[in-house]
Parts: sequence; structure tokens; C-alpha cells
Amino acid sequence: MEFVAKVVVACLCTRPYFRFRGFIVGKRTSAGRVCARGAIMLVPIFTLKLNHKVNPRMVTMGKFDGIHPCLTAATQAGKVFIHNPHTRGQRQVAHRLSQSAQDSDISLLNINQAVSCLTAGSLGPNTTGDTLLVGSQTNLLAYDVHDNADIFYREVTDGANAIVLGKLGEIPYPLAIIGGNCALQGFDYEGNDQFWTVTGDNVRSVALFDFTGDGKNELLVGSEDFDIRVFKEDELVSEMAENETVTSLCHMHGSRFGYALANGTVGVYDRTARYWRIKSKNHAMSIHAFDLNADGVEELITGWSNGKIDARSDRTGEVIFKDNFSASVAGVVEGDYRMDGQIQLICTSVEGEVRGYLPASKEMKGNLMDSSVEQDLIRELSQRKQNLLLELRNYDENAKATPGVSEGDSGMGVIPANTQLQTALAVRAATESQRAHIELSISTPNGTGWQYQSPEESPTEDSASQARLVFFPETIIRAVLIFAEGIFEGESHVVHPSAQNLSGCVRVPIIPPKDIPVDLHVKAFVGGKSSTQFHVFEITRQLPRFSMYDLNVDPDAPQPTGRVAFSINDRPQRVVMWLNQNFLLPEGIESPDVTLTCLRGGGLLSISMESNGEITLNTDDIDLAGDLVQSLTSFLAIEDLQAEADFPSYFQELRTTLTEVDEFHSVHQKLTAAIADHSNHIRNMLVQAEDARLMGDMRTMKKRYIELYDLNRDLINEYKIRSNNHNALLACLKSVNQAIQRAGRLRVGKPKNQVISACRDAIKNNNVNALFKIMKAGTASS
Amino acid sequence: MEINLNHVDYIQVGVTSQKTMKLLPAIGRKATQKVAVADHDGVLTCFGMKKGEAVPVFKTLPGQKISRLELGGAQGTPQEKIFVSCGSEVRGFTKKGKQFLCFEANLTESINAMHVSGADLFVCASYIYNHYCDCKDQDYYLSGDKINDIVCLPVETVGRTVPILACQDRVLRVLQGSELLYDVEVPGPPSVLELNDKDGGKEGEEVLYGTADGKLGLVKITESSHVSKWEINNDKRRGGILCIDTFDLVGDGVRDILVGRDDGTVEVYVLDSSNEPILRFEHVLSESVTSIQGGCVGKENYDEVLTTSYTGWVTGLTSEPQQMEAGPGEEVKMSKETQAKVAALRSELEQLQVKVLQGREKYQQSSQSSTAVSTVPVFSVNDKFTLCQDDASYSLTLEVQTAIDNLLLQSDVPIDLLDVDKNSAVVSFSECDSEQPNGNFLLATYRCQANTTRLELKVRSIEGQYGTLQAYITPRLQPKACQVRQYQIKPLSLHQRTHSIDQDRPVNTLSLVGQFSFAEIHSWVVFCLPEVPEKTPAGDNISFYFHNTFLGTQLEATYCKGEAHFKSDNISTISILKDVLSKEATKRKINLNISYDINEDSVSHTLTMIHPKLEYQLLLAKKVQLIDALKELQVHEGNADFLIPEYHSILDESAHLLEEYKKQPAHLERLYGMITDLFIDKFKFKGQNVKTKVSLLLEILDNYDLNSLMDFFNEV
Repeated sequence: MEFVAKVVVACLCTRPYFRFRGFIVGKRTSAGRVCARGAIMLVPIFTLKLNHKVNPRMVTMGKFDGIHPCLTAATQAGKVFIHNPHTRGQRQVAHRLSQSAQDSDISLLNINQAVSCLTAGSLGPNTTGDTLLVGSQTNLLAYDVHDNADIFYREVTDGANAIVLGKLGEIPYPLAIIGGNCALQGFDYEGNDQFWTVTGDNVRSVALFDFTGDGKNELLVGSEDFDIRVFKEDELVSEMAENETVTSLCHMHGSRFGYALANGTVGVYDRTARYWRIKSKNHAMSIHAFDLNADGVEELITGWSNGKIDARSDRTGEVIFKDNFSASVAGVVEGDYRMDGQIQLICTSVEGEVRGYLPASKEMKGNLMDSSVEQDLIRELSQRKQNLLLELRNYDENAKATPGVSEGDSGMGVIPANTQLQTALAVRAATESQRAHIELSISTPNGTGWQYQSPEESPTEDSASQARLVFFPETIIRAVLIFAEGIFEGESHVVHPSAQNLSGCVRVPIIPPKDIPVDLHVKAFVGGKSSTQFHVFEITRQLPRFSMYDLNVDPDAPQPTGRVAFSINDRPQRVVMWLNQNFLLPEGIESPDVTLTCLRGGGLLSISMESNGEITLNTDDIDLAGDLVQSLTSFLAIEDLQAEADFPSYFQELRTTLTEVDEFHSVHQKLTAAIADHSNHIRNMLVQAEDARLMGDMRTMKKRYIELYDLNRDLINEYKIRSNNHNALLACLKSVNQAIQRAGRLRVGKPKNQVISACRDAIKNNNVNALFKIMKAGTASS
Repeated sequence: MEINLNHVDYIQVGVTSQKTMKLLPAIGRKATQKVAVADHDGVLTCFGMKKGEAVPVFKTLPGQKISRLELGGAQGTPQEKIFVSCGSEVRGFTKKGKQFLCFEANLTESINAMHVSGADLFVCASYIYNHYCDCKDQDYYLSGDKINDIVCLPVETVGRTVPILACQDRVLRVLQGSELLYDVEVPGPPSVLELNDKDGGKEGEEVLYGTADGKLGLVKITESSHVSKWEINNDKRRGGILCIDTFDLVGDGVRDILVGRDDGTVEVYVLDSSNEPILRFEHVLSESVTSIQGGCVGKENYDEVLTTSYTGWVTGLTSEPQQMEAGPGEEVKMSKETQAKVAALRSELEQLQVKVLQGREKYQQSSQSSTAVSTVPVFSVNDKFTLCQDDASYSLTLEVQTAIDNLLLQSDVPIDLLDVDKNSAVVSFSECDSEQPNGNFLLATYRCQANTTRLELKVRSIEGQYGTLQAYITPRLQPKACQVRQYQIKPLSLHQRTHSIDQDRPVNTLSLVGQFSFAEIHSWVVFCLPEVPEKTPAGDNISFYFHNTFLGTQLEATYCKGEAHFKSDNISTISILKDVLSKEATKRKINLNISYDINEDSVSHTLTMIHPKLEYQLLLAKKVQLIDALKELQVHEGNADFLIPEYHSILDESAHLLEEYKKQPAHLERLYGMITDLFIDKFKFKGQNVKTKVSLLLEILDNYDLNSLMDFFNEV
């Protein structure tokens, strides 16, 4: 342990040219300090306060002049600041760039829009330094900080939620790839749109690295539909389902990468297999791979919303180092900030506090925590010993317990040893008082009251021939806890009946919001009615993927109009197997032809299979059809699948949306023109008003200013209209992108990619009819 | 001077109670001291350290739970006889482990505090104090509230026997024989007493006390009165104090004060030149610290602070530098002793594993039998549910001897569960259909991270709504079991006991007359108000005083057989009492004659009391709202010189303001709620229902001004 160190105000300078002006609050000269029994605690080598707020997740490091790394981050009021402590003076103030008056190390960049993501890196072929890329909800700016000039400024209708810079697949030059509303777009250094594809939902995180190990980078995309998708250029190669919005992705090494979710989970994947994950009540703001203990393997560094920074081993998730900021962490980056050839880990808090950590030197390898390993080891072993002793004691005491307990002991929760817990899952259709749900019933079938104890158990009794009556208090389920991911609001659901309603059976309605397979970890507290201690029964049940479908079909229900048809080379038995595994069917079925009621949205789903292997899915829900196709093909291990589809009502909707898009576009143009008009007016009026003021004509001035005020109000109203229009447009575009994605999901492998790119072409050429043809037939030709 | 102490674990015993570990006096000048520690399994262990290895001197057989351990001996000789209390028995052991005393105190309850001085033995059960001399009964006293600890001024310096009891109702009771000499009021419920400098100072009259809400103080107990020397508030909101010791750690000739708290904090206070204590060292252990001692255990010449934790870890914080040769090569080398230790532990573990497997098998088999029963393994839970004065919320701490797996919280009253920064457990709220007959208002699960043995939660209650909060604790222990603990949320949950009230305030009175006994009315008061002893007080009538921790209003309850009077300056308090008491009486079919006397002035008085709080909160909220915008302006313009001084000061104080704002979440909403209650209650007593006018009231509150609010209260 360490005595709280007093903060010393001093200068950091170890080299003459490197100085942070006055804002340094702490100073440490060596990177580590020997503490208890040789364990080493890593301390920051520098700490500085920037006095600017930092927007979370919008921090990067760029060498804009090709040499000096500068910490760059988005701050409030649509600005980006660049912290450059390396060179002073000789800075021109022009265009976007302006020197901060508070601190000469900081330059501010006016974006005049809320920044939504930023990154820096080399984009153009012949530029000396890194290019800064700033994305907002409507635009992408590529900016050369060194030359103080825009490289390009592109409008991006789908917005930019996440950005990554680098090479993708076989494309020979680096691209700036932005993820927006359901779409991914890549720009080259001239601002040309070189890459485009769609994904299931709004993109929240992107990463570029060699996922497949073929020497070329793949694009990883985390989105709001809880999926991590891997794109090899525009081909979707893998999909990993998580249980929350994927907020960050980062490459570790090899095919391993780290991820963070909106519910406070961070973890590491190796390809498509999850290595480990942990969940915290805080949110992971930023993750980064950095070799902090100098063992040659990167650790996953996580910056948390409560200000904690921790480094976890990529293999086990074990914490090897942690530190705390007073405010939430905004970003974690790396760079040689002292210009001494060593890369530091640099962490930034939202309040503008920056700390740099050097990796541990060789001799302190492995031990970064402020406690000694052996102490911990001994403690852990003793703890385990204690636990085993306790467990042993429990068994001993249990063996001593005799049936026929007195009333006084009922608080202890004695139950018959053969008490079992039975669980059953059943589909329940909607009733007047309750929505359609899946019912999980948990019951202890134990009888209550007097039971005969068989005579051989009590051989010493004289009345051995007579069975003894033994009183068992009623066994009840006090409460049921269900831990499951993605189907409850939190991570758990609790049923706690009131004291009057206690019984040996508890029914839990479950309504999974999506078609995903879920493991239900059930913990049931079983004991007597007045017990203060309970037995905990732990059971895990799996909820199949398509559980919200009922075999009971209302004969009057209209037949679905939408359908997908495709053929497979497999036996019908295999399809039946798939059906039994993925649907909650009471006693299994024999034939692959079934009709089910969708409990979630209503409507029917029918599946039929011809003897020649042709399968037809009839449903009005295109998403469901897509899910079924994907689930079935992965079960049967089919790599490529072409399908014909028709969803008349959905296509009709899409057609309306497409016309709406056109309308919104034209309104948008009109409004832009009007605004240009108004700004001219304003300029004129302002000049007139100021003229009047100089002339001393106060009446005219007042009049002009009143007019100006009115105009301003009009402008604000217009702006509101414009932004509503824009939001509506965005929503429409999103649904168009989703439509393409959905059409793709009806196919697998190559045909899927063909559909997506053909649809994209059709939209580019504004050929609506071709679009629908492609969606139906699955190919661009004919 | 900096104190640098390093953490060393010595051994682990069973779960320990408060004050159950002592250091035996050293034999030579430089020798290490032996440690005597007693646990809930009834085992008294005495060990010394040799070359980093714990060598037991003796160990007694398991028995009843040991609640205290004290050292004693004939006056003038080294105090090296060990006394332990278990059940209603006191046992004495020599330092070699030979039992020389087994004394049955003949108390109906078990002993929970004990003091030994020469031939005098002082023991306390919940409410009873007994003094024995040479095992002969001497004095007896029945305390008004629970006794938490006892200490006795040293006879050799003071010249008389002065026992001091630390009682739950916030007083130290100084006794003379079987009579109460006088009361000493302390700022919180005292949980531990210790003589200053081990001998009570020069005059032997100085006593250190620690309270359950984390305050520490020193009082001088003279023959006729007391002098309060100093008092340290618990500003950092640390846990309650469980143990105190004095020991010269710094080496300046003055004994420093060592403090152990129930949140695992160990503190060292050093006295400065004016004898004021200053915090010099702080270390946080993961479990509550039940005993603390200063001395020398691990290695000669190195002083240390020795602690025991709830789960029985005996841990030293030693001044011995724990540096090791961190070779430039591979892993940090382990010393031979530790390697041997680890190896021994591992083999022990393996053996245990085999035994446990057998046990598991047997257990499995028994589950096939239709006649066997299965009992729930018992584990001990150390829990505390206390009202925090400064933010008027309850804090619930739970501690289990092994790691907690999960916790289920269930409440049948609307309460708010607040986040505690220290917690790493993942909380998840479950939907509770209040339409269902289950009557749940809160269902929350805490899934704990590995090795969490202690959980701290904060709960905010609303006065007038009462019920039970239940916590189901499941530890990570096979076979899995859970224990439920219940906590009452009382109708006047935000009230706290105090000893004096302001008599000049305008008061409303509620009087009850009826055929009820003294015990009955007392049980009703216990039902309504926290911190009232459950035992019916001695005598014919009694008065209790309370104050509202949130608003600062007060309540006086005076009652005897057949008659009760409640006086408060807050109408809402009276209204809640009236509702609850009449309900209780109806339940027991007792005819009550309820009359009340409402003082109109009290309403405006209460509003004036709320006024500064409300104004402060409103201003704070306003300022906090401005901070972001002002900061942006500052960044935009480059400096803040153009701002008016008011805004300037907001910018300067922004960090402080934000902190203040964060400290009291929903404070404003709570104040609004109380004003609304006050409004409704005022007119309820007049027989008017003004619920329709509440929206008007909220409107006025949004544009708050004391006068307009008062006018509104008077007009309607």
C-alpha cells in the first residue's frame, strides 16, 4: 500500500524543448516504484489538465506534421481541439483554425456542427502528415492540419457514427470508412465514394484488421441490433450475436479483438469465438489494445464511465493494472508524446485530464498491481480452504439432521432430501388479461403434511413393524430469479409472491423481444413457509430461437401473402430436426410441413417442403423469413443459397418510402435555397441598421433591428422545419437501407452479396422497378 | 512524518466478533508479542510469529460463540491472563492456555460486553450490567437502552470504581455502584469505548469513544461532570467504528489512536502539539475490522497495527519494509518460507477436496432417499441498517463469511435504491406489477463480482409509507442456500433520537386516551419510530425526543398507561402518527379517543425552516444548469473576463457546485414532496380535501418565493 502522495506542482521537462505550460499537476520521474514485496505499481509519467471538455469516444492521436504526435479530441460547441506541446509560436490563425486564448498549446478547430466521430491517419498518397477526419450527422470533413486546408468536405446522408481509417481488402489505397444509419461508406483521399454496403442497424463502432488471416484487412462493424459483422470488402463473412449495442471494437493482435457493449460488458473474441467477457455496472467508454506490462502481448485497456482505467490480460480477462480518474474516461490512445522513442498509453477524461503511462520496464515485468502476488496466492488458497471446510461442515450437519423436526426448527428451512424442482416451458396464446407469452412453470411436486417413514430407517424402535408418521412442513418456492441476457429489461427477472400466495409452483411469463436462443439461468429459493433460510436450486433451461410461435392456428386467419422459396439438397428429416430444435413444439413433429401462429406480431407462418427439396416459407414478416433462412442454412451448413421471394405488402410500403425520399429531397433543396435567400436579407439589413446607427437615425435603426429580429425568428422556424424534414429523410433512408439488408438476408453467401450490390446499383440509378425485381428474383439480370 | 505500512496476512480463524483479539504483553524488551484471538466457533487461538510462520501456542476446543476477549491480571503484574465471554459464561486462561476460571454469570441473556480489572469483572448483556468482585455479585444496573460496550476507569489512578456504559440511545452512562451517576451525550450511538493511552491519561479519566455512524471523540469523566475534549465528524462517510486502540506508532512518545471501521478502513490519528488528532494514515481492507491492536508481532523492532476482520483474517500493517530482491530475471522469487507455506496449503487443500467430494456424494445419495431431510447450511451474516443523518437515507451493509453470489432485494413499500460508488456488483431491476396481488414495489438483484464478501447499499424512504425491506443473500457455497433478512421501514423513518428539543417552537399536539397498557403504547411507538428500545421502559411514564433528519423539525412523545401525547412543529408528522396509531388500535380492537390541537403558526414555521434549504437547492440547481453554457462561452471567447461577477463565481466554483449537486440526488424533489404533504395534511385536519390544488402548488414552487408560498397556504 501506499501513503497518499501529495500533488506537487512542478514542471515535467526532462528535455529542454518539451514543456507543458503550467497545467501540470503531478510529476513522477520514474515509471514505477517498488512497493510491497517487489510488486510494482505503475504511475503516470505525466499528467496534464487541458481545461477543455472532451466528448466521449472522440479522441485520437495524429502526427499532422509527420513528426509530432498531437492529442486531438472533439469538445463542446462543435469544436475540435488539437493539443500540440511540441512546437510553439509561428502559428497562423486562418480558416478554421484558431489559437485558444487560454492555452497556447491548444488550437481549436471550428466544425460548427456537433461532432459525432473523429480519427486521424494517413489518407492521401503524397501528404507529409496525418489527415484529420471529422464526421458529423450530415458531413464528413477531411482536413490537413499542417497546411490548414480542407482536403474534402462531403455530405453523408446516413450520418457518421463511427469512423476508421485504413486499407480494406484489395483496395490499394487507404479509405476513410464511416458507419452511419444502417450503411457503411468508404472515401478515398479525393473524397470519392469507393465503398458502400448496408448492415442490419445503425452502426456504432467499426474496426479494420486482418480477421481471416489472409493478409488483407476485413471490416468489423458493431451495430445497434447487437451484432458484430465482419465484411471482406462488401461480402459479409461472419456474424456474431451479442446482447446489447456494440459500442466499441478494437484489434488486439492476430485474429483477436476486443469489444464493448452498452450494458457495461467488455470482452475479447478470437475470430468468432468469445474468449472471455466481464460485466460491470459502469459503461466502457473506450477500449484500446496496449502492451502495458511489456510481455509482448497487448492487453485490453478499458476506460470506464466512472473514471476507472483497467488493463486486462487478453487471455483471461484478469486485471493487471488499474487507475482512477475523477471523471468519466473519454478516450484511450497511444503515442510517443514525450518524443523519446517510447510509446505511451494516453488516457483522457471528459474533464480534460490527460495521463500518460509508460509500459513497465523489463525488470518489473508482470507485476503492475499494488499488492504482492504471493500474499494474494496465500490468501486465495486459505480462502479456498475455508470454503471447503465450510462445505464439509454443511454436509456433516446435514447428515446429523433427522426427519420429524419440531416446529421451532421450521425457520431453518428443512425440506425432504428428495425434493426436486421441475420446470416446463409452454407457449401461451394471448388472453384478454395477458399478452401472448412463453410460460416457464417451476414446481416442487413434494406433498406436504404427514408422511410415513418406512420402518427400516428406524430399526432400533420397538414398534419397528409400524411405520412412523413424520411431519414435513409444506415445501414452497419463496422466490424465483431468472438471469438471462437480452430478454429482460435488466439482466434478471424476479418473481416474489406475497406471503399469502406462496405455493410449490411458480409460473413466470416470458416474452422474448427478438428471435434469439436464450439460456435461462433459474435460481429458485425453496423452503418452508416461515423459513428464513432457503435452499437454492439452480437450473439452466434453454429457450429455442423461434419460441414465440404457436402450433394452434386459428382457421379463420388470413393466409400470408409473402413467401420465400428455395431448394436444398437435404433430407426432410434434417429439416424436421431443425424445426424441433428451434421451435418450442409440445411433443415434436414428424413432417416438415407446419403452420404456426406468430405470437409477437400475429399472422401465420407456414413452412412446407416438397419431395424435390424445395422449401417454401409463407409469412408476411420479411425479417422472420430472413431469420429462418439464415438459421436453417447454418443448421444444414449451406454456404450459398439463392431464393425467390415476394412480399407484396412490404414491397408496397417500400415503394411509398422511396417516393417519400424523393419528396423530402426536393423539400430539402427548396429550403436550402430559401435559407440562402434569407441570409442575404440579413446581411443587407444588418448593414442598413448599422448605417442608421452611425448616421444617428435611431428610429430607422430600431425598425431595422426589429425586422431583423423577426427575420431571425422566421429563420429559426425554418430551421426547425428543415431539421424535421431531415430527420424524416434519415428515417426513410434507414428503412431503404434496411430493405436492402433484408432482401440480402433471404439469401446466403454469394447470392446474398449479389443482391445487395445489385440493389445498391438500382438505387444509384434511381431504378425503382429494377430494385424490386432484384429483391424478388435475387439477381440483377432479366 | 510519513507512516508507511505494509499489508501482511498472518492466519485465518473463524468469524470474529467485535473486540476479540489482544496482544499479550511482550516478555523481553525487543521480543515479538503473542496474539490471542477468539472466534464464533468458540475457539481461542494464541499464536506467535516465527520466521514468517504462525506458530500456535495453544488452541482451545470449539464451543459456544465467543463475544469478547479481554486481558487481565492482578494489579501491578503484567496483564497476561486471557478472559473470554461465551454465552453467559466467562472463562479465564493463562498465557500457556491453562483454564483457571470458568464463571457462570447466571444471566438470562448472553454476555456482549465485558471488562476485567484486577479482581473486578464487569459484564453486560443487552440491557443489564453486572459487577462481580472475586466472582461475587457486587452491583447491578438496568439500562434504558442496549449496552454496546463497557469500560472502567483505572482504579489505581482514580481511586474508585467508575464503570462507563456505551448505550445505543446516544449516551454514555457513568455509574456509581448500582446507581447512575450521570449521562454523557455523544453525537451518535456509541459502539466502542477505550481508555485513552490505555490508562485513561494522567488522571485516568479520559475515555475514547467511537460511534456506529463513524464519529470519534474523547471525553473526560470527572467525579461530578464530564468535559468533551474533541470530536471528529465522519465527513468522508466512512463506516461505523468497531474498535479503537492507542499505540505509539510514530515514535514521538505520544500514543497515536488506531481506529478500525466496519467498512474495512484502518486509520491512524496522530496528536498534534495542541493535542488535536490528525489523520495520518489510512488503509482499506476488504472486510470490516473487528479488532485493532498496536504492537510488534511479525518481526522484532518493527511496530505494526494488527487487525482482525469479520471473516477471521488476522492481518498486520507493519512498518517492516516488505521489499524483496526483484531479480532482473524472470518472476519475482518467492521466499523459501512462503514456498513451503504454499505447498503445505496446497496439500491440505487436496486432502480437503477428497473429503468434500465424499461429502458431496453422500449428499447426493441422501437426496435419493424419500425419508431423509435436507437442512439448509447455516452461514453467518453481519448486517447493519442505519439512517445516515447527513443525506437522510438508510444505508444497508451486508457482510458474509464467504463470497456473496447474489442478493435479491424485495420491498413492499415504495423506496428508492441509490447507487453506491464502492459497489462493483451489477444491479438489475426487475419489473414489479403492482397490480398483481404480490405487492412488490422493488425487486432488484445484485450479481456480485468474485470475492465480494461485503455489500453496501443505500435506500431512500418516504415518511408515512411503511413496510418491510427484505434481502435474500446467497453466498457462493455448496450446497447453495440463501438467507433472508428483514428490515422495517418505519412510518417516521427519517426521525432520529435526540436528547433535547427546542421548546419555543409552535407545536401541534396529538393526544390519545384509551384503555391501553403502557407496554401497548410503547410497542406502537416502537412500531412508528426508529431508535426506540424494544423493551418497555421502567417507570410509569416516559418521554422520547426526536428530530427529523431531513427537515430539522422535531417530535416529542410522552406517554404512560392510558394516555399519550405527541408534539411536533410539523403537521405532517402528527398526521402520519394519527393515521398509523388509529390503524394499530383498530387492529387490536382498542377504543381510542384521539384529539388534536393544530397550531396554524406551525405551518408557516415549518415553511420558514424549509425555506433556506429549498432556496439553496434551487439556486444550486440553477447554477449547475448554467455551468456548461458558461464553460462553452469561456472556450469560445477565450476568457471569461466579460462575464458579470456572479457568473464568474459560478465558473470558479463549478467543480464544488457539481460535487454538491451530485451528493444530494433528488433533494429538490424530496423537498417538493414534503411541502405537498404539508399542504395536504394541513387541510386534512380541517376536513378539506385539497388534492385538486396540488398542481397549483407545484406551479408556485416552480417559481418559488417564500411569501407567495405562505400566502398560498393561508389563502386556500
